[in-house]
Formats: sequence, C-alpha cells, structure tokens
Amino acid sequence: MMGQARVSRMAAVDCWSSLILTLFIGALGLACDSGSRDEPEALPPPEHSQAGNTDEQQDELVSFTAAEIEEFELRVAPAGKAIIERFIELPGVVRANEDRLAHIVPRFAGIVTKVRRRIGDTVKSGETLAVIESSQSLSPYALKTLLDGVIIEKHVTRGEAVTPESQAFVVADLKTVWIDLSVYQRDLTRILPGQPARVIAGHDLPDAKGVVSYVTPVVDEVTRTAIARIVLDNPDGFWRPGMFATAEVTVERVEIEIAVPITALHSLGQETVVFVKDSTGFRPRPVTVGRRDAQWAEVREGLAAGEPIVVHGGFTVKSELLRGEFSGGHGH
Amino acid sequence: MNRLVNFSLHNRLLAFVLGLVVMAAGYWSYRALPVDAFPDVSPSLVQVFTETEGLAPEEVEKYVTYPVEVAMNGLPGVERIRSVSNFGLSVVNIYFEDGSDIYFARQLVNERLQEAREQIPALFGDPTLGPISTGMGLVLFYYLSDETGERSLTELRTIQDWFVKRQLQTVSGVTEVLGIGGYEKQFQVEVHPENLLRYGLTVGDVIERIRANNLNVGAQFIERNAEEIVVRSVGLAATEADLEGIVLRTEGGIPVYVRDVADVGVGGAVRRGLQTRDGVEEVVAGMVVKLYGENSSSVIERVEEKIEAINRSLPEGVRMVPYYEQKSLVEACIATVRSALVQGVAVVALVVFVFLGGIRPGLVVSLAIPFSVLFAALWMGYLGMSANLMSLGGLAIAVGMLVDGAIVIVENVDRRLRSGEGAGSKLRVVSEACGEVVRPIAFATMIVVTVFAPLFTLQGVEGKTFRPLAYTVALAMLGALVFALVLAPGLASVLLKTRTASPAQGAGGMERMVRGYRRLLAVFVARRWLAGALAAGLLLLGAALLPLLGSEFTPRLQEGTLVVRLTMAPSISLQESQRVTQIVERRLVKIPEIAGVVSRIGRGEVGAHADPVNSAEMYVLLRPKEEWRASTQEELGGVIRERLGRVPGVLVNFTQPIAMTVDELLEGVRAELAIKVFGEDLDLLKSTAEEVSRAVSTVRGAADVQVDQVSGTPQLIIRVNRNAVARYGINVKDVQATIRASIGGEVAGEVFEGVRRFDILVRFAPEYRETVESIRDLIVAGPSGLRVPLSELASFEEVVGPRQITREDNQRFVTVQSNVLGRDIGSFVEEARAVVERSVDLPPGYIVTWGGQFRLQQEANRRLAVVVPVTLMAVLLLLYASFQSWKNAFLILLNIPLALVGGIAALAVTGQNLSVPASVGFIALFGIALGNGMVLVSAINQLMATGLGTRQASIDGASLRLRAVLMTAATTALGLMPLLLSTGVGSEVQRPLATVVVGGLLTSTVVTLLFLPAFYEWFAATPGPEETHG
Repeated sequence: MMGQARVSRMAAVDCWSSLILTLFIGALGLACDSGSRDEPEALPPPEHSQAGNTDEQQDELVSFTAAEIEEFELRVAPAGKAIIERFIELPGVVRANEDRLAHIVPRFAGIVTKVRRRIGDTVKSGETLAVIESSQSLSPYALKTLLDGVIIEKHVTRGEAVTPESQAFVVADLKTVWIDLSVYQRDLTRILPGQPARVIAGHDLPDAKGVVSYVTPVVDEVTRTAIARIVLDNPDGFWRPGMFATAEVTVERVEIEIAVPITALHSLGQETVVFVKDSTGFRPRPVTVGRRDAQWAEVREGLAAGEPIVVHGGFTVKSELLRGEFSGGHGH
Repeated sequence: MNRLVNFSLHNRLLAFVLGLVVMAAGYWSYRALPVDAFPDVSPSLVQVFTETEGLAPEEVEKYVTYPVEVAMNGLPGVERIRSVSNFGLSVVNIYFEDGSDIYFARQLVNERLQEAREQIPALFGDPTLGPISTGMGLVLFYYLSDETGERSLTELRTIQDWFVKRQLQTVSGVTEVLGIGGYEKQFQVEVHPENLLRYGLTVGDVIERIRANNLNVGAQFIERNAEEIVVRSVGLAATEADLEGIVLRTEGGIPVYVRDVADVGVGGAVRRGLQTRDGVEEVVAGMVVKLYGENSSSVIERVEEKIEAINRSLPEGVRMVPYYEQKSLVEACIATVRSALVQGVAVVALVVFVFLGGIRPGLVVSLAIPFSVLFAALWMGYLGMSANLMSLGGLAIAVGMLVDGAIVIVENVDRRLRSGEGAGSKLRVVSEACGEVVRPIAFATMIVVTVFAPLFTLQGVEGKTFRPLAYTVALAMLGALVFALVLAPGLASVLLKTRTASPAQGAGGMERMVRGYRRLLAVFVARRWLAGALAAGLLLLGAALLPLLGSEFTPRLQEGTLVVRLTMAPSISLQESQRVTQIVERRLVKIPEIAGVVSRIGRGEVGAHADPVNSAEMYVLLRPKEEWRASTQEELGGVIRERLGRVPGVLVNFTQPIAMTVDELLEGVRAELAIKVFGEDLDLLKSTAEEVSRAVSTVRGAADVQVDQVSGTPQLIIRVNRNAVARYGINVKDVQATIRASIGGEVAGEVFEGVRRFDILVRFAPEYRETVESIRDLIVAGPSGLRVPLSELASFEEVVGPRQITREDNQRFVTVQSNVLGRDIGSFVEEARAVVERSVDLPPGYIVTWGGQFRLQQEANRRLAVVVPVTLMAVLLLLYASFQSWKNAFLILLNIPLALVGGIAALAVTGQNLSVPASVGFIALFGIALGNGMVLVSAINQLMATGLGTRQASIDGASLRLRAVLMTAATTALGLMPLLLSTGVGSEVQRPLATVVVGGLLTSTVVTLLFLPAFYEWFAATPGPEETHG
C-alpha cells in the first residue's frame, strides 16, 4: 500500500511539470491505480522468517502465551516409555477341535434296534449310544462312544440298516474348539505359533483369549490364504463350531524407550516432526519414526527421553509456523 | 436558440404543461427505479459449478474443468475464461465483455455446456450454471434457532432444505436459496467388511441389491365393471427397517439380510462446510440470492414478510433469525444521499432567496432543481440505471450547478425589469433579457457535460462506480438547460414583477459589496503583474502541497457490517477449522460492541461460495452505534482488531460482505505487478514460479514478492499395481470400485418421505476406513471367491498435493505478485523482465506474462492521454465557438489550474487523500470554474462592444456579474455542504469530492473575480470584425 502511495505521489509530482494536462491524467490515472483498493489488513506475520525450505524450519521458533496455550488446548508431555503392541486382525471360523472328535461307526452291518441318545446330548466315554442287531450274528451289540463329549452329528434312526461304512454318530469334545484364521500371504511371515490373540465373536458378544498354536505350511489355492489355528478353551460351550469369529493376533509387543503419542507426529514439508517445547517456545524437530500402533509411535532418532513435546494441538503450532506461506490469498 | 426561448415564452401554458408532464413522468420513473446500495461493479460473468464428490483437484481439472473450459472457447463476447479446480468442486468463470446481456450470455454458455456434459464421465458430476445474480446478490442471511435445543442438526437442516428453502424460493425476485450447516439427512448403510467376507458378498452386491429392491412402478390400469382401476406396485423402502430387511442372498432357503452385514441408520452426509454462532453452537443457515436486476430493498422486504409467515408455521421453538440483510445498508445509503439532496436543495433555495432578495425570483430559480432532478430520474429509468449512492450522489453534487442557468436568466430578467425597462412590454423585456444570456448558458452547460466526458471512459470497477455519477450529473445538467431555455423565461415572465427603479430590499448590502469589489478590482487591473505574481504564487502553493497528499483508490464504502475472514492452514480438517473458528468467536463476543458472531466455514450448497474448509467468514453483528467506543466503523474495526489480538496459526483479515463477494468475482490479484507463469506440470510450475520470484526479489524496488501457494493438501495416493492385479485376475476398475465404495461410499438410490428424498449411502463402517492402516486392509474380491487385501494389489504413498489448480486461457498458471517501492513501475518491470530472462531458464512450453494493476493503470493512462486532450480541445472549441476568440478561450482555461489549487489545499487541510472521488471533484470544479469565467468574460466583451475601454469594461463587466458569480459559487459550494458534513453510510465516498469542489470554488471564485478581469487586457479579443456575443 505504501509503495503505491509513493509511486502515485511521484507520478503526481511529474504531472505538475506539464501542469493542467498531465495533472488531469495524473488525477485520473491515480483513479485507475486501484492496486491498493481492497488490501485487507492482516495481522503482522509471525515473528519468524518465512519458511523457505525444511532446513530452515528446524531453526524456527513459535511461541504462545499461556492464555493461548490454554485457549487452543495445547498439551505438552515428556517423550518416554510406552508399550507398543501391534495386531493383525484376521477373519476366521470356529471349528470343532479335530483332536477331540470321534466318529462312531458300527462294527458290523445290521439293523438299528434302539437309539439311546439324541443329537446334542452330552455323553461319557463308553456310554452306549445305540443298539444294533448284527445282520450276521443276529445278536444285538452296543454302539459306544469313544470319548467324553457332545453328540454333534447323528445319522441313525430306529430300523435303519447300517454298514461299517456309515458314520452313525460324531461326538465332539467341545471343551476346546479351534479358531481357524485365514492368513493372507503378506502376513504369513508375521503370524507365528505362540502369539497371543483376542478372539472376537462380534455382535457385542464376549471376547476370549487364546494363542496361535499352528500355522498351515501350505496355502489354499483358491483363496490364497493359509490357516492359523487357535485352540480355544470353551468350558461353557459358547463357541460353537461354524460360528464366525475374528482374531486380533498380537504380532509384536515391545517396550519402547522413547515413544510419543501418534497425535504428536506432524508432517512438515517432506519430514515428520514433533514440536519440542523449550523455555522460549516450540520448535519443530524432525524425527525418524520406527514401530507404531494405534496410540504410540517409536522415535528412533531426533528426540531424547524426557524432552517435552506437544502431544495435543500440534496442528496449531504447525499452522502458526506456516502462516506466512498460506497468506497468498485464497485464490479466487 | 433565441427562437426556442421566444417560442416557449409565447406558448407558456404549453411549456408549463410539458414541464409538469416531465416532472410527473420523472417521479413515476423514480418510484420504479431499482434501488441498490452502490452501483454493482460485478463483472459480466457466468459461473459454471460442478460438484464432483470426493475427487481430488487433479481429477476435477482433468475430467470436469477442462471439458467445460474447452466447450466455452470461442463464444462471442467472451473476454476471459478462468477456472479453479478444488477438492470436489470445479468452478469455471466465463467473463463476458462489460455490458453483455447476462441472459444471452447464460444461454450461450448453457448451449455449450451440453457438449461439455458429454465429455464428463458419468458419476463425475453435472455442471450447472450459478444463480442468475451478481456479487451484490447475497441480500439476506439467516440461521435457524431452535429454542427447545432438542432437534438435531440433521433435523434442522431437513427443515431448512425442504421447508424454509422451498417457501423462500417462491418469493418473487429470489433466484436461489442456498443452505449450509448441520447435516443433510442421509440413510447410511455402514457395511462391516468381515461380514461380507463370511457370506461371500461384496460391497457391489450390497449396492446392487439395495437398488433392485427400492422401486415403485406403474402398470397402467385394469377395467372392472365399466371402471378403470390404476395399478401401481409399491416397493419403495421408506424406513431404516425396510432397508435392513432387504435380502442380499439366499443360501439353502436361509436369507442373508442387509442387517446381517451392515448397520443401517440415519446420519449426516459428508460436508465441506458448516456454520457456527457465538462460539457456542453449530447452526443451520441459509442465504437468499437476489435475481439479477431486481430491486434489493423490495426483494428483502418481501423476503422478510415471508420469513414472518414461515416462522408462524415452523415447528414449536424453531425460528428463522436473519443476521445480515442488505436492506438497511441500501436504506442507509439512500437516506444519506437523499438527505444531502434535500438539504442541498433547501440551502440552495435559501441562498437564492437571499441573493435575489425576493420570494418570486427565488421560486423561479428553485424550481430548476426538482425539474432537473426528475428529468434525470426519467432518463435513468429509460437507461435502466439503478438509484444508488453514486447515481443519486451525482444529483446531490449537481444541485448547486442546476440552478446556475436559471440564476443567470432570472438575475438578468430581474435586473432589466428593475431598471424599469419593463414599462413597455414585459414579455419583450423578458425575451431580450433571456436572449442575452441564453448562449453562454447553453455553452456553459455543454462545457460542464463535456468536462465530465473522461469519466465515461473509466473502465472496470472505477468505471462502473463513477459512470452512474457522471451520467446523472450530465442528465441533470441537461435538465437544467431545458429548464433554463424552456421553462425559466415563461416562469420569469409570470412571476417576476415589473418594478420601477427602486432598489430592492436587501440589495443595499449588495451595493456596498459591489463598491468594495470595484475598488479592489481597480487595484488589480492597474497592476496586472501583481495579479500575475499572486496567481503564480498560488500555483506554487498548490505545487508545494501536492506532494503532501497521500493517495488511495476509493475510500472504502462502510457497509455497516464487519466480516472477519480467517484463513487457516490449507490441510486443516473441517473439525479443527470449526474448533479454531469458535475460539475466535468466543474472543469476539467478549468485545462490548459486538452483539453476536455468525460464521460460515467452507461452503454449503454450491452457487455462491467455493471456499475450502480452511476459510471462515465471520459476520460480526454490531451493537447500535451509540454504544461504540469508536465514532466510525473503520475505527471500530481497529478497536476490534486490537482486542482480537493474534490468533495462532490463522491469518485474520477484516473486510465487508459486499466488498468481499465482489472482490472474489473480480481479478484475484491485488498487487501492482502480477507475473503469471503458465505451464503444464504443477511441480515444474511451482519451482519456475519460485525462481521467478527469487529473480524479481533482486530487482531494486521489489516489495512483498509472493508466490501463490498452490500446494499444501496432503493426499494418500493408492497406485494399483498392474502386475499384482493381473496375477489375481482382477481388473483395476474392480479395485477402484472397492476403494470408492468402501471409503467414499456410493449412493444406492433414495428414500422418499413424501416428496422429500434422501440418499442411501453405502460405505464401510468408520473403523474400517478411517486410518491408512485400515485402508490397506480393505479386502478386494476377485473371481472365484478370491479375497485379496488392498495392500497386495496397490502401493500407498502420502504426498503433499495441490490445494487447487487455477487455469486461465486453457492453461494452468501460478502467480508471482509484487509491489514496487520507491521507483517508477515501468522501469521496474523492464528491469525485472530482463533479470528473469537472464536468470530463469524457462522449460519449453512455459510462458511468463506480466500483468497486474500496473497494466490497467498503463491502459487507463494511455486512454486518458487521448481522452483528456480531446476533452480540453472540445472545451476550447466550445469556448471559441462561444467567443469567436482564441484569446478569450485561453483566458477562461486559465481558471483551471488556479481552481486546482483550492481543491488541493482543501484536501491537504482536511487530511484527505487524492482519490477517484477527489478526481471527480476536480472535474466538476473545472466545469464550474469555466462556467464562471465565461459569464464574466462575456459580460466584459459586451461592454467592450459598447465602446468602453478595456480596463473600464473589465471593471464594469466584472461588477455587473459579481452577484451572479457569487451566487453560482455559493449555491454550488453550499449545496455540497450537506454532503461534506454528512456522516451517514456512504458519505465517506462523497466527502473528498465535496471537499475538492468547495475548496476549489473558493480559489476559483477569487480568480474569476480578481485575476480574470486583470488579465483580460492581455487576452482581450482583438477588436475586429466579430460581432457582439450573448
């Protein structure tokens, strides 16, 4: 604005030399000098110099008054220890534990004369499930279960002719179940036996804790997934085979010496920075980020333990730092 | 000319009737004039808006902006095409030549838009024309207040969109009502991807099934028993339950419902703007857009009536609260000029009565004002001008000049009648008296109108602002001429009395004055060199004062409403933007002068604003002026700015509603020098612009060099890996469909509630799409049950992308702005050009253009360099035609520089700047000064013709015209006093003008009365063959 005033003034002075004519032009020319027309007055730019490139930004200081810090809810906390826990979420199904499953088949072909137990009945090992009259000896024999469990399949009815090939009953011990998880190719290296997992049934049903016990050595050719298995205790029979479940497998759980909340990380230019507080104000500090989870990020380089950093409201600091840059009008 | 006077004198009755008819017609026309606050300076512009859900600037440009731009090329009358491609929105501005018919332009654009539509891929939006309005069209803003506090923002927005808006749109003169704030109601189907996986479904299946189960059809009719029965099948989903119950698939007789894979609920649509109030709450708001060419205040009146009616039928507790309307501004502006006009008329009439010493002559003269004003109003209506601050201001300025012609006539008639000549035929005396002065009057009027000619050549904003003023001045002057020629003689003959040679009462003072004047004049006439030296001294004084004056363009019109504009970091989220805005709101409402604050962040329904979410406009509602600690709005702005203090991370500007909107429609660049770098590649453009900026900074005089910030929006780029998709046998399109549907969501039809319709949006539940990690885990369905996470198929990259892409003349560009300090801009540009040429290596195909305000200034100067000499030549010719003497003509022209001195001095004394209105004041001043000079010179010439000596003729002639000159000067100066002293809205624009004229008249009158007769001897027309004049 000032520049214009001076230029126009100079123009006006020139005008005086050739009196009327040019003054006329000068007066009107000035009229068309609409440069300063509507310059909105802005607050003075922040006290730091303009951020030209990222190297300079490292030296840039932004300070706030206590009132501003309160008003903009800037929160500062020291960088320090945190536990980073990384999960992989995998879809799966509940299956009966095949190690605790018994297929009960008739030894001899014959006719079923009695059926003692129904599907869903809990049976003890050695208990008679049905009585079959052998077609050869015409004498009845008992069809007995081989383990403690629940009858989950029953394929015999009274009077039915059965052969040794027919599967009369399936008894399963559902005190434990398998959660078979589909593991995608990219996760195969990370899912390993022994990793703890949380099994989620969804629909607000309770979760359960388990451990990955096994990962199949081959992947399915259709779905291109391997199976990771969690053997889950199922004392009250809540997990029923066939149910869908999701498991959060903890693939990593480490204590990090220097960690910051991920809300403290900001991008500035091409770098990731945290804002470090000192006695004069806040300065951006480029950091190298290592592992991270939903809450915490490991800082590999650039920050010492205990340094106070902005953990909330860092965007305000960043905006203030860049304010000079976005002043180029809103463009239309 | 004398014949005309005689004719009208002899047909007085006819003349009077004609006069009455003109006045009645003028009044009627005045009543029908559209009323605005200021002249509308918006360019002739057609805007094409295209909303493209979720598309980044690059895609918007490629798929939407470019086709639209190309289609608009080569339309007749198009001056420039400029576009902005933002996130999710393309705005193409097609500027037509000034004065183009807006409906014709819209029709042209619309025709071509058809072509563009074909080029834009489906689902990428449909280009629509902006409202038929201008920058001043946003006449009323309101918000919905809910006193119960129970209604959700979604409910309120539904009330706004489906009730309030529809009602307001029926008001005549309203072209559009745009809603913002709250949430647009939407039925949301939030899909849980793991459930899809389990049932072997995809998002696409869900969308398709919902579409296929939400229809009504008609099936003609059946006949029964001589009756027709219409058959319709009803299958529209009406509730959330209906949507939940849609079957996606049936496996072994067991259906899988939508509810098995998704949560269905009513929620708010994605939004790019919102509205808040007083730092306490979010509100739903709307703005009423006035139809082009409608009368602002009557539209607002009708809207306000409608609002009352709507308020009665709104649900309990909900009320529309207008928080900004243009009517008060319009009324205030009009009131300012109207009162200035009325007071001016009163003052002028008073002056006339005093000078002429009687009611009757005063009456004749005073009648000139209403006649001329109504004459002008008649033509304003005919020319389609609106009544506003400037056009009515022109009349207020002219008030004093309007009576000049009549004064001269009446004065002459009165003098002649008084001298007893009227004993014979009164009519003859009147006719003779009129005949004597009619020629100079006609010439004087013509000269005033001619002097205003340069104003007609002003272009752009200045032109649009000041041309109405020039028009009304010219029209009113013509009216005054008509009055002087046609009506005044008749009126004089009827009203003025023949008196015997007895001096009128009150004329005694005049006599004494004349005597004193004669003595003084005799001194100057005798010592012409003294007069010359004094005149030269005056000129030097003016020359000395001139550099002390500052300069500005036009004093800012105070609209009475403050807008605080916040610009935040370009990457800011809407939520953070809202938080910051509300903090600022809370600060503002603590300031005692402020009654409330209503802020708009980003944009609502498209049509008026295209602001991104990092921009907030805060309407500051002020308490009545009496409670202020400041006396003017400008001062108050200062107080508020100080109290507001620094806002961390935010750029704060103070502006006003109309100024802001109009600025946006005008050119974006406000600096003196705008260097535009045109090219293809955004990064290369940016780096080239930065190089240019560095080069320009090195040139002496460069100040505030700045590159337009074009980047700054973070982007997550998901690049589909072609090898990977090939391996899995998946198409890129399938991957992208999944990305689009799961993250952005896809509309799968509408739910109807009566005629209200709401979108059904299918997208993933928030937890599956809100982080980069979860996006990487999105599952893409392949052929034969294949399930692949997105990260197997695509690479992810976070980059800082363009904030917006601006284009002009079909090319991308980035602007480098600079101001120039302490040196002539022409040479600066030359040097800067050379430096840039030397040091910046332009990539092939890249162009640098040099423009900005300096270019406009140069153009204006070039234009004026022709127009001003032509005008002066015309004036000179007119003077010559009048006097048949070049010497006389030059003598009169000499008035101009001396009149300037007074104007400059007045500005300097009152501490005002040189500005456009001041220039207009100078122009008016020249006209008056020339007129006075003519009156005097012609009187002296007449006496010379009777054989008097030059000196005696000079003194006698000047004394003879003393009364007339003093009177015209006094009427003009005093007529402007109300304008000078007014503090009303809009007075700040007129004040410099009035100052210049009043100040200039002081010196000009002195010059006319003292120096001109003294110089006359040097410039006396060589006695010769020419006949007497006047």
